[in-house]
Amino acid sequence: MSLPTDTPATVAPVPDTQLPPAPTWRRELRRAWASMVASRWALMGLIILLIAIFVAIFGPALAPFDPNRQNILLRLVEPGGAGPGGSVYWMGSDALGRDVFSRLLHGARVSLLVGFAAIAVGGTIGIIAGLLSGYFGGWVDDIIMRLGDIQLAFPFILLAIMFLVVLGPGLLNIILVLGIGQWITYARIVRAETLSLREKEYVEAARAMGDSTLSIMFRTILPNIMAPLTVIASFNVASVILSEAALSFLGLGVPPNVPTWGSMLSESREHLLSNRWWLAIFPGMAIVLVVLAFNIIGDWLRDHLDPRLREHG
Amino acid sequence: MTRIKTLLMASAALSLPAAAAAQAPENTIVTALSADITTFDIAQVSERGNSNIMRHIFATLETTQPDGSIAPDLAESLEITEDGTGYIYTLHEGLTCHDGEALMAEDVAYTFNRAADPDNGFTGNVPGFLFSGMQFEGAEALDDRRVQVNIRTPNPIARGLIAEVMVHCMDAYEAMSIDEAGQNPVGSGRYQMVEWDRGSQVVLERVVDESEAPVERLVFRIIPESSTRTAELLAGNVDLVTNVPPDQLDVIDANPNSDVYIAQGLRRIYVGFNLSDEFAAMPGGDAIQDPMVRRALQYAVDVPSICTQLLNFECERATGLVNPPHNHPDLEPYPFDPETAEAMLDEAGWERGEDGTRFSIRFQAGRDRYLNDVNVVQAITQMLQDVGVDVDLQILDWASTYVPLIRERNAGPLYFLGTGGNIWSEFIDMNDLNSVEAGTNYTHWDDPRWFDGWDVIRDPSASPEEIEETRLEMLRVFYEDGPWLHLYSQPDFYAMSSRLNFTPRQDERVYLWTATLE
Repeated sequence: MSLPTDTPATVAPVPDTQLPPAPTWRRELRRAWASMVASRWALMGLIILLIAIFVAIFGPALAPFDPNRQNILLRLVEPGGAGPGGSVYWMGSDALGRDVFSRLLHGARVSLLVGFAAIAVGGTIGIIAGLLSGYFGGWVDDIIMRLGDIQLAFPFILLAIMFLVVLGPGLLNIILVLGIGQWITYARIVRAETLSLREKEYVEAARAMGDSTLSIMFRTILPNIMAPLTVIASFNVASVILSEAALSFLGLGVPPNVPTWGSMLSESREHLLSNRWWLAIFPGMAIVLVVLAFNIIGDWLRDHLDPRLREHG
Repeated sequence: MTRIKTLLMASAALSLPAAAAAQAPENTIVTALSADITTFDIAQVSERGNSNIMRHIFATLETTQPDGSIAPDLAESLEITEDGTGYIYTLHEGLTCHDGEALMAEDVAYTFNRAADPDNGFTGNVPGFLFSGMQFEGAEALDDRRVQVNIRTPNPIARGLIAEVMVHCMDAYEAMSIDEAGQNPVGSGRYQMVEWDRGSQVVLERVVDESEAPVERLVFRIIPESSTRTAELLAGNVDLVTNVPPDQLDVIDANPNSDVYIAQGLRRIYVGFNLSDEFAAMPGGDAIQDPMVRRALQYAVDVPSICTQLLNFECERATGLVNPPHNHPDLEPYPFDPETAEAMLDEAGWERGEDGTRFSIRFQAGRDRYLNDVNVVQAITQMLQDVGVDVDLQILDWASTYVPLIRERNAGPLYFLGTGGNIWSEFIDMNDLNSVEAGTNYTHWDDPRWFDGWDVIRDPSASPEEIEETRLEMLRVFYEDGPWLHLYSQPDFYAMSSRLNFTPRQDERVYLWTATLE
């Protein structure tokens, strides 16, 4: 189509409704943001989480002291008290004269790292096991699910303690133990979803087109079950952070030279009776806030990704 | 729901265990201990808290008093053979074990020989420390009431060591496997065990006349967490707490229903250098083979500051493994002098690398066994790092992980330990290293200048002056080239309810048949 020669060169604005639709992910993002803003709790959770992630990334640069630098002549200084060389211990010092604020900043990195890494380990194992179990069924399904049943027969914390006593405490070991403890949660969800999806027409179509089994499992089925996995993962991060804190509290966490919120809480025990409140309150609050944030976001994600709630909305 | 659950878990992690409302029962002393009981076999026990409970169940031939003197217990008299290698004890009449079996001389001989039998594979204090220290040869019943304990050569500390061996009857133990014997004590002492709830408590009941043990019932509760122990004392649920952390002393003292008792203890706290061939091949294990490196590290650690800041008491740094007054009078404690330490490490060939590190080394310690131990080892780690030693600190669970390593002499290359001390003989504290193979020589140290000295001490023809000269020379060698980084003798902080009348001893022995209740 050509324009008449006497027509001005400018083009009249086209109404929004006539614009081509934005890519799907951008629309989803806009919708998610609108939903989050509407739910103030979720927004608060997101802000807390972003602060925690910022602290985890940049905390070590912001820390006024080396978190492991001891000064036993300046131990148990109250918050706001004088530190070495005219500096200030904003959150006080601990039983070895280390700066609580600096340890808290460094601890954020370890706590979040353990949370995300354990979920990555557990999620990866669980997704693979669940896909195999749901897709092939039969004896593969039996073996994988019975293994999960056996694991679930033991209280998780007992299992974790047993492994850590054998393997020894350490960051990698605690990530592995906490991750392996989570795999069955993911495996069961993935298996259930796979069982229903493997009979769907688009899966049949992929099979008819000659796609390989691996391709069908990971490129056709897996993307369609990511929504429930994302919700479970958000709750699980919170649970794993608490488990790390509990294991560090029991002395089975990371080595003593790695500050974590759980180990800080553990070290505060001997001083609670003598009213050194700052040793427990600050790491305790950090754990509570981050766990709360993950749980709020998990709740919001569940509502947001639920197609029935979406339709009603 | 998940949110509420996780929030509750977080709150629980923050809260202190609530003290029970009930008060300690009548005619019962409740003692709170930090470490769990691992065995009730007299040949297997090696931990003081454990052996303290067992000593109520099992009697000994003689017993050491708080002042170091030795008093009769199962035996009414002692005769030593002319050559000084036979100790003949005559037992009291009418002794019985808790199962009603008569306790005769053959039972005593059986107890000693069973503990020494290598086929049984015992690794406790009796075979590993007492028997190796006295050079035990065997025991035999001379008649119903007389038993002879034989040692290889005359030994000035043999009598005291024999007095430490707890005695049981033969029939009950012959009928049990080693594992069963560790769980079902059939004793000969003032109390018998009526309940053992693993990881929770041990209950003992008196089996002798009130004049021999005024309190009827003893309960030993295992409470690993120190502030919970203190909270239980303040709540009136516990009468006696041992190993109270220094930071809680003020709280206990301020409570009208509890008191603090401080004793200058005899337990020698040290950092050991494991010099075994296996460890010599490990990073840092090669460095500490050199006595100059070991000596340099002595200067790197500020022991007086550790004592005043972390242990709440003024201490004089130890100069060896012997408690005063038997320590070497002329040796000065190593001062805190990091510059000297660095210079000596340079001289020994361990100069700082580009990253500031001289060498790396693993440092192992148990958790919550000794006074403020976790903080003490972390402070030592920092001080060693300050002179360029890259320390990999491993804090391990005491009972499940660290004790097996120690028993196998396999902790290290640096390890933190406290070993019980005595003052009833000038040789007893040296007995930890009575031979290279001794179960308590956790360092595998084999310096002949030390170990050959024992031949002189045990030689009946040696004069007292010659023996003393040898002893002091051994202590000097230990001070200069020994396998310990010298620290301190641990103070003992006891917390007691005001209804308990009990005077703690310096040697950590808690014998509650000497206690009364108001």
